[in-house]
This record gives sequence, structure tokens and C-alpha cells, in this order.
Amino acid sequence: MVLLRAVLASLAILAGACTTSSAAPAESPFAPSSPPVAAANSPSPSLATATVTVGPSAVPTHTVQPADGPSVARLSAEGGDPVTGQLGTYIWHDQGSDSPWLPGAPIAVGRGEPLTVRLAPATSVAAWQARIVPADTSGPTGATLLAKGSGTPRFDAPRHGAWTLEVHLVFGDAAGDASYFWRLDVR
Amino acid sequence: MKLSRYAPGRRPRVAVVLALVAASVTTPVLAHDPDPALSGGTFGQSQALEFRWRSGSEPPSAIRTAVLEAAGDSNATRASQAATFGYDSTSSNPIGYGSGTCGVNGLACFTRTVPTGFTMWFREHGRVFDWGTLRWCQMQSSPTNGCYDAETIALDEFGHVEVLNHHVNFADESDYTDAVVQTYSRTRPKTGWDMHVYGPCDTATLQIKYDLPTLSSLYSRCLGLVTVLTLSISDTSIPYAGLVDFTAYLKVATDTSYGRLSANPIGARTVRLQRRAIGSTTWANLVTLPPSSTAGTYPTSLRLYSTADFRAVFSTPSNEGVRGDTSPTVRITVAPCTANCPLEISAS
Repeated sequence: MVLLRAVLASLAILAGACTTSSAAPAESPFAPSSPPVAAANSPSPSLATATVTVGPSAVPTHTVQPADGPSVARLSAEGGDPVTGQLGTYIWHDQGSDSPWLPGAPIAVGRGEPLTVRLAPATSVAAWQARIVPADTSGPTGATLLAKGSGTPRFDAPRHGAWTLEVHLVFGDAAGDASYFWRLDVR
Repeated sequence: MKLSRYAPGRRPRVAVVLALVAASVTTPVLAHDPDPALSGGTFGQSQALEFRWRSGSEPPSAIRTAVLEAAGDSNATRASQAATFGYDSTSSNPIGYGSGTCGVNGLACFTRTVPTGFTMWFREHGRVFDWGTLRWCQMQSSPTNGCYDAETIALDEFGHVEVLNHHVNFADESDYTDAVVQTYSRTRPKTGWDMHVYGPCDTATLQIKYDLPTLSSLYSRCLGLVTVLTLSISDTSIPYAGLVDFTAYLKVATDTSYGRLSANPIGARTVRLQRRAIGSTTWANLVTLPPSSTAGTYPTSLRLYSTADFRAVFSTPSNEGVRGDTSPTVRITVAPCTANCPLEISAS
């Protein structure tokens, strides 16, 4: 088992190295633009989660935050394993990325179950809002507000069904804001 | 105090304070107001920002055209002294295209480095994401439903570069077309998928941050600026048939949350002088005061024959985002006629 883990870890590292070296642009738009420097030609080494990355165009990619972007958000029910949300549109200091409404990372929860979103690395949240639409809806039109507040987002799971949950966070210290998505399977 | 001018009964107003616009990043999601502003400051007023295509990641021709047109859209519809954009092959601000960046799910992204620089990036046509396959309408010979208009997305990105954060829509998104800088851009054929002009709530923030093009330009309809109208006169007591100089002065109220618009003189508007006879409660329009070459001032001279009250009135216009105001009342006492008086005809 230990050997298997070691092999998988090695493969993961190798895969990460391959994808980043082959898929990175000549210059990153998130790198300083003037003057171009050598460091700007390389992807940042500080991806907060190592799960993945930019893949070839024909292959779906998976959730991971960009270098020097908003924190990773993990949603968990009481006692359950946290699930990392899909990072959508965000502003982070003087950079930002525009994404569509996302389908969300799958998570199964119980009806009315208390849910909590935690950030890694921990980041202050000035305000937040959680809203849902039926799963497979392509946008926020008609969304139902679940809850809003400040600080750590905590709210109850909605009624039975399949939902896309968007949690929009406004970070403290004017750091920016971001939307995260989960696909809730409420039993 | 709010910037927005929508009446409570017409739209579900919520208390988003002006400070949110002045402050860097907004509290989310609650009302129809000018776009929030990004932190990091602004470029110079009407500063020319050039860009070039990123070496090795040059966009295809159709996307280049869309970006150039979006730069023109931004310049033409900024309704303010926001920075302008233009192509220059020697620029240090690259715009790229391809597979590499914008996070995992982004279709386009930007950086801004005030006061000199910015970058922009567009993901490649045909890329498969968790959310689907990215299709740029401009890359299709016959655009299909679900494609993104690259010109609209590029205008959104140029808006970010200026200073704009995403507009906060109503829950039903009925106000979607009030801004092109959106958290979730729409795809063909949904309303707003191909907006090629800034919306009023985009230009509202651009005006707050960069000021109007001229002092007689119109204020964005997404604003609801309070104005102050005063009326000064050359004399409060004159002889019969004496001449009085009236000068109305119209300006935006002083308010730090109005940014560069605070205390702006407002020129080239319609300001009326009204008169009320002593003992009457009814005001009557006397004359429309012509705007002078000095912005905000509306002077005229009138010969008066009887004592009366006067005030200036600026009615709330329907085509811009300022509120009407009425000046304080001034009384001008006119002495009785002593020579060459007109005949009084009394009813019998």
C-alpha cells in the first residue's frame, strides 16, 4: 500500500510537471507585463492545491485555484469530508478571471443539514451569500437565496433535490471576491 | 444616501451605501447601483493605454478583430475621462490567447497595474471545461447558440482594466443590460449576449472615478446625484422699474462618495426662474435662464415693477442621473412708482 501511494505520488508529480511545462503560455497574463522577465515565463510554483491543472484542450479540467488567486473553498456537512468547490469568476487584488456559471463539485448532504464553507488558506470574509438553482441550470436567473452574512459561511442544506450551489464571497481588506460552486445532492 | 435613482416602488431597493463604490470591493449582491470599483486605484484621466498581441500567443484574426473593436467600444462609450485603449505593436501590455491561464474555469482574464500596465488573456476556442466547450461566436462561420461574443467579453475585460468590478444584478436579473461588466456573461442568444457598449451602471462608476468628459455632459442614468441650486441677485431692494441681475448656480452636492463628481458645476441644463406675487401661494414660470459660458451659472437681468418672491428651479431630468433642486426663495422689494407711472384701470 505504501509502495502504491509512493508510485501514485510520483506519477502525480510527473504529470504536473508535464502539463505545466507543455501547456503554459509563453507569458502569463497574471505575470508582470512590463518589462517581461524570465520568471514571467514560468508558471508560479505556489499552486495551493496540487490536484491539477491545465490539461490539453480536449480533456476536461478539474478544480484548482490559479497561482496567487483566491483561497480554495471547501464545503462540508457536520462530520462529513469536505469537498473543494469549483472556483468561478473572481477578482483577486488587481487581477481577475471571468467564468461561466459552473455545474459545481458534487457533494451529498442531508436535508436541512448544517453546511460550512472553510477557506484554505484562511482568508477573512467580509460578506457572503449562498444561493441555489436546480442542477444543470446554466445561470443564476431565478436563483433562490439560501442565506447571507459575514464571516465563515454557515447555512442549512435546502430541500430534497439536486441543486447547483453558488457561494459568493467578498474577502476582507478589499482583497477581492469570488464565486464557488458545488452540486448538492440533497437526500 | 444612495447613488441609484430608482424609486422604491419601482424596483426592490436595498440599502447599498455610496461608500461601497468609493471603497474598493463591494458588499455583494443586494441592489441596483453603479458597478463596484476595484482596489488598486485608477489610471490617469483619458490616459492612453496601448496593448500588443502577446508574442507566441497571438489571438487568431477573428479574436484580434473583436478585441480591437471592443477597445473602440470602450473608448466610444466610456462617457467619462476613463483611460482609452489602442493597439501599438511596441506596447508593453500584452493580450494573449490560448490554453494557459485564467484559472481552471475562466474564459478570459486580466491584470491591471496602475498607472502603466495591464494584461488580458482569452482561452482558446474549442477548449473543453467542466462547464462545457468554449465557443467564440467570432470563430464560427455561422455562430451557434451557446457561443460567447468575444467583443462583449473583451469589453468586459477592458472595463475591469479601467476599474470596474462586476455589476450586482437584481435576483431576477431584470437589470442585466445595465452593465456589460458581469459576473456571468451570457451566451447567444440570451438578452445582453452581444453588448458592445458600456451600460449605464458601468459608466456611472467610470464617471465617479474619472469624471465627466465635460461639465455639460450627461450623468449616467444609474446615478441619482443630489444637486444644489442657488439663486443670487444683485439687489434686494430696487426703485420702480429697476434692473436686477439674477444668477442661478447649479452643482452636484458635495459628497465624498461621489468621487470626482462631487461639487461639479452642472452646465447646459434647463433652469427656470419662477415668480410669486406677494400674498400668493402660486409660483409661475417667469423665464428660462440661459446657461452662461461659465459652467453651472445661469444669469439673466430683469426689470421689475412690483415686489415679489423669486426662486430658481431645476427639475429632475428624465435622461440622466441627477435629481432636481429648487433654490431658496429671495424677495425683491420694488419701490412704488413716483413718476410716469402706468395708468391703473379699476373694474367698476
